[in-house]
Amino acid sequence: MTVQDPLVRIQGISKSFGAAVALENLDLDIARGEFVTFLGPSGCGKSTTLRILGGFQQPDRGRILLDGEDVTRLPPEKRHVNMVFQDYALFPHMTVRQNIGFGLELQGLDRASIKRRADEIMSFLELQPFAERYPAQLSGGQRQRVALARALAPDPALLLLDEPLGALDAKLRGQVQQELKSIQRRTSKTFFFVTHDQEEALTMSDRIIVMNHGRVEQDGTPEELYFHPATRFVAEFIGETNLLTGKVRGVDSDAVVMDWCGQTLRGHAPAGAPRTGDAITASIRLERLGFHAQRPDTPNALQARVVGKTFLGSRMAVDLEVAEAEGARLKAYVDTDVGQSVGEAPVWIGWDTDSMAVLRD
Amino acid sequence: MNRGNRVLLSCVYWAFVLYVFVPLILMVLVSFKDSKFIGFPIRSWTFEWYTGVFADAQVLSTFGYSVVIAVLSTAISVVVGTWIAVLLEGRRFWGRAVIFGLTVLPALVPGIISAIAFRIYARGLGIEPGMGAIVWAHAVHNVPFVVLVVMARLSTLPKSQIEAARDLGADPLIAFLRITLPYLVPAILGASIFCLLLSFDDFVRSFFLGGYEPTLPVLIFAKLRSGMSPEINAIATVALILTAVVGIWAERFTRRLKKETEG
Repeated sequence: MTVQDPLVRIQGISKSFGAAVALENLDLDIARGEFVTFLGPSGCGKSTTLRILGGFQQPDRGRILLDGEDVTRLPPEKRHVNMVFQDYALFPHMTVRQNIGFGLELQGLDRASIKRRADEIMSFLELQPFAERYPAQLSGGQRQRVALARALAPDPALLLLDEPLGALDAKLRGQVQQELKSIQRRTSKTFFFVTHDQEEALTMSDRIIVMNHGRVEQDGTPEELYFHPATRFVAEFIGETNLLTGKVRGVDSDAVVMDWCGQTLRGHAPAGAPRTGDAITASIRLERLGFHAQRPDTPNALQARVVGKTFLGSRMAVDLEVAEAEGARLKAYVDTDVGQSVGEAPVWIGWDTDSMAVLRD
Repeated sequence: MNRGNRVLLSCVYWAFVLYVFVPLILMVLVSFKDSKFIGFPIRSWTFEWYTGVFADAQVLSTFGYSVVIAVLSTAISVVVGTWIAVLLEGRRFWGRAVIFGLTVLPALVPGIISAIAFRIYARGLGIEPGMGAIVWAHAVHNVPFVVLVVMARLSTLPKSQIEAARDLGADPLIAFLRITLPYLVPAILGASIFCLLLSFDDFVRSFFLGGYEPTLPVLIFAKLRSGMSPEINAIATVALILTAVVGIWAERFTRRLKKETEG
């Protein structure tokens, strides 16, 4: 994806550690004010990218442009980039105020300006009551906010966040996600967030870049990634999905017609549409399967038997076996009242062309 | 643990406590004995030995001399030891194991051997016996303790601390001074106290490298040779109390420091 006047331009970055390739020829533009998330399993190269942007690691090849300036060889202290560390890395011998003031002090600000700016950021993040406390005297959530305040205080062009919510418990994490997103909106700063948690990525990001084995698998909005995953890896990594493997029957203007266990289905075509006869995989999200008493007039419709149900509270997971195709199974999420109403009798399942994404490999 | 084991263990513990403290207690008791002969029973008590000690100009100046030597040698070992620790910890380079081994060696060489070696070496270099030579020998002997203690502490400093400092605009030197050094303070303080006590306590090196002026242990030794007297007990008791006070204060101080910064 190329952006007009990007804040960050990553050009052909590669990095190996011994025989292990961490990044392979990565090209990426990041626009101003974006909340970009790098998502992927551990070892996918997301942290390496972050550390290269922060200046803690040097790429083997390629360049990093920040605001048009080549910063590839600049040490961390010379970059207008700040980082929120995974373990927060708060300085234990300094109070909250001193931690936040550290970066300002090194920018050469005078005492009064440091105090003013620290107060400003502390009131913004509601840290005033803890100003004179030491990090050891704070809760996990408070420490996380101090780390954020410290990184934001010097007013960086780009803020790097290295899985900063990993150490929080599940309940707090949800709250902090909202907070982080709102802070990003209010400061209109560019956030570069790294996580392996797909839910976190979906909640907060304007744009998600899914990484695997040092390469970009897909780059898009959370909705695009969720409903139209480009690859099998993305479809499986984000959310739950049904994967249908079959053969291409034909391709028309906006859809791929495929054969799956003798059923003809229509799906959303990926870029670089497949050709007739190709073996392909399609992905359909569990909640996109609609239940009907009669044959629905959706482009895709199947008759299926319910073979299992799991109560999940507000919804149910229903296991289905397609009536006319032996061994063809699907899983669906339905509202609990719908789930409870279906029984032994076969049901009709229907979905749109757009709900089913044909994958790229 | 069953009951029998527990009883056995507590017996061993109390036996150990007796073994350590009884000689000290006897020494302190005798220092109050109103008689020139060391031994029991004590029929009458006196402070005379103590007033004698505090009035004895030689004892006082010797005490001061020992303290100066301890402080100087500790200052040198702390600077050199911390420096070596910082260079060695968390780095891999060719010859690291050799350097580490050589650094720790002075702590392992028997005192008498290193004392003789120093004496010969000092003469070769034209260094006069006296304070300089003693400080030098004590400093070399104490460096390994500083290196080990500081390295242990340094290994627990999360790498992200330094990275965070760099990230916020600190060059490597500022990061060291503002982050690493404060983190090392408890270790440096602990090592310093240990070095002070080691130096204050040292006899062999001080004896071999000393000039005309004795250190406190050397003076006690000299006095012992001219006959036991409760005066020696009094000197030892004062030294005991002072070292215990310094040790306990240091322990409490480092503990408070740790509590404040580590929760």
